[in-house]
Amino acid sequence: MKRLWKTIIVSALVLLTVFAVSGCGTTDENADTGGTTTLTFRIWDTAQKDGMEKIAQAYMEKNPNIKIEVQVTSWDEYWTKLEAGVTSGTAPDIFWMHPNEILEYADAGILADCSSIVDESHYSDNSINLASGSDGTLYGVPKDKDTVGLVYNKELFDAAGVSYPNADWTWDDLTAASEKIYDTTGKYGFMAYADEQLGYWNFVYQAGGYIVDTEAQKAGFEDEATKEALEFYINLQKNDWCPDQNYFAQTSPGDTFFSGNGAMFLEGDWNILSECENNPEMNGKWDVAVLPKCPNPVRGDGRASVSNGLCNATTADGKHKEEAMDFLEFLGSEEAQRIQGESGAAIPAYIGLEQTWVDVFKEKNYDIDVENFIEMFDYAVTSPIDKSRPSWKTAVNAQLLKIYSGSQTYEEGLQNMQDLVDQAMVGY
Amino acid sequence: MKKTKLLNSEAKWGYGLVAPTIIGLLILNIWPFIQTLILSFTNAKKFGSYDFVGLTNYVRMFQSTEFWQATWNSIYFCILTVPVGIILALLLAVFLNSKIKGKVVFRAIYFLPMVVAPVAVAMVWKWMFNSNYGIINDVLGLHIDWLTNPHLAIVSCAVVSIWSSVGYDAVLLLSGLQNVPKTLYEAADLDGATKIQQFFHVTLPMVSPTLFMVIIMRLMSSLKVYDIMYMMISESNPALLDTQSLMYLFYRESFVIGSKGYGSAIVVWTVVLIGIVTALQFWGQKKWVNYDV
Repeated sequence: MKRLWKTIIVSALVLLTVFAVSGCGTTDENADTGGTTTLTFRIWDTAQKDGMEKIAQAYMEKNPNIKIEVQVTSWDEYWTKLEAGVTSGTAPDIFWMHPNEILEYADAGILADCSSIVDESHYSDNSINLASGSDGTLYGVPKDKDTVGLVYNKELFDAAGVSYPNADWTWDDLTAASEKIYDTTGKYGFMAYADEQLGYWNFVYQAGGYIVDTEAQKAGFEDEATKEALEFYINLQKNDWCPDQNYFAQTSPGDTFFSGNGAMFLEGDWNILSECENNPEMNGKWDVAVLPKCPNPVRGDGRASVSNGLCNATTADGKHKEEAMDFLEFLGSEEAQRIQGESGAAIPAYIGLEQTWVDVFKEKNYDIDVENFIEMFDYAVTSPIDKSRPSWKTAVNAQLLKIYSGSQTYEEGLQNMQDLVDQAMVGY
Repeated sequence: MKKTKLLNSEAKWGYGLVAPTIIGLLILNIWPFIQTLILSFTNAKKFGSYDFVGLTNYVRMFQSTEFWQATWNSIYFCILTVPVGIILALLLAVFLNSKIKGKVVFRAIYFLPMVVAPVAVAMVWKWMFNSNYGIINDVLGLHIDWLTNPHLAIVSCAVVSIWSSVGYDAVLLLSGLQNVPKTLYEAADLDGATKIQQFFHVTLPMVSPTLFMVIIMRLMSSLKVYDIMYMMISESNPALLDTQSLMYLFYRESFVIGSKGYGSAIVVWTVVLIGIVTALQFWGQKKWVNYDV
């Protein structure tokens, strides 16, 4: 008898283990229990979790039969996980989409058509473009929009006796101020590092150049204006007042800035609130200005700030598509966008609600002129979008680093970048 | 006769007890590997759709300088980490096996790096190696680009790897040391052998089976190095191409760029490489590993 019991217990344990191993992933997270449907809402920014939860809360109050779970996955894992989820049919019900990726997802038929639930008149053309597939159909509900500004350390400017950046500043003022600050204080001036939206893209568009021309299926690295801007930007690191790429590979411009070792860098509005919160001792000692303009643009008036924007999306064949679409529609409503702005999460894509985001800084007593970010929407340039971008992004960056390190000339590098992108675009 | 042997009660117990591991292995290791092998002959990109393209990925791989550089980096990383790491671990094990005060505390301290998450280890070391604000340059009074100099970056990664693995290897070797019968040392003493002679003629042969196992494990994990490099050498690091291991290259190709097919080919190559190295080891062990007690 004892033996029999032993056998039964051990077999049960073995069976349990087998089920535990083979059963992974088959459990239904969205199991309907007692008439409530649970929707998962996946995002990548911890700083925006509260904001998203507040929106979900507002929706759940109106729809008691729906439960929304906000899940945060770090940016580094987000796309790997989402892709795996989409491929295996376990994608979250609602998720953020980034312009880098939306074209691939949309064109593969993965995203649900959102054109019927979005009133396009409430959004800028930028926002609509960034949420559309190659076929021009909306595959997401615009969530937010952003611009890039020039962040500066007031104390270092005061110490060097340089007046603060203003709307009339040109590239020349930027370099002159950097030099003066470095000479008087020994701290770095403008920290120009190899980055796209927070770096050279802005300069390229200010000079009248471009990165990709999707209609012509061609990159813009051979364009005269692009060349001039890139040469200017890359050469900034040759000055003593700008750290080099070796430095930036180890220490970010933000870390340098907030430790008081650098006077200026380009920052996106989406980082400002958390920087205020993380550096309370710096409150009032730093500010943000609109980007300096190109003094002699090849085309245009020399003004530009690269603007990006996210959207919320769902899969075309989700298990809870109807409910997800309804929540998506709510995410695009004035109410939800207002909550987003008021939470300080991001600038709402919804036109007319920009001030809600600005007011957050006043309420929290952060002495910083974030209205400048809003001002730049007047001349904001849509972030270069192209379906092939994931396949050339790292390769182009590698070429750029080779120019920085001096292992290839500026001309060779630009030629290689042009060829890489051109080939990638044909391949898609 | 055979049938009864397969199904006698002892065998049944045996199968039942190994089942969880075997099933786990089949589902979590073997099956994914077969899929990887299949993927390496396809142009798989995103979302699981693909076409078979024959040997295209392998042709592209063997023509790529980045790939050969990564292969060399992986091998070079082994050369840097394995001999030094093993010698240090062995010395440490002998030291921890001797009669010193606070032996248990030392054992715990040296084992500690193994308990800390590799990511946290790499983060801390990254700051220590920082050429502008790091403690290492500060103490040395130098300005060395530990992480961005193309020749040095891989050495810096090797240092971190050795630091985090030496304690674990030492504990494994320690268990081997403790199995050496005391009588052998007594006999050696009577024969007038010095401590050094005892180490080379008694300790080393007796601990060689454990040493062999440690070397195999260390070689495999060094060939597969990824986490330390990923944390310490970012995408914007000028030394990236001179440092990235095969696994790092695989990650970038498969998950950053999205060419799953090409990435799979890199993995298959890595498996072949590890297979060759391990086979060589088993062949070579006959010459130095001593299984007699």
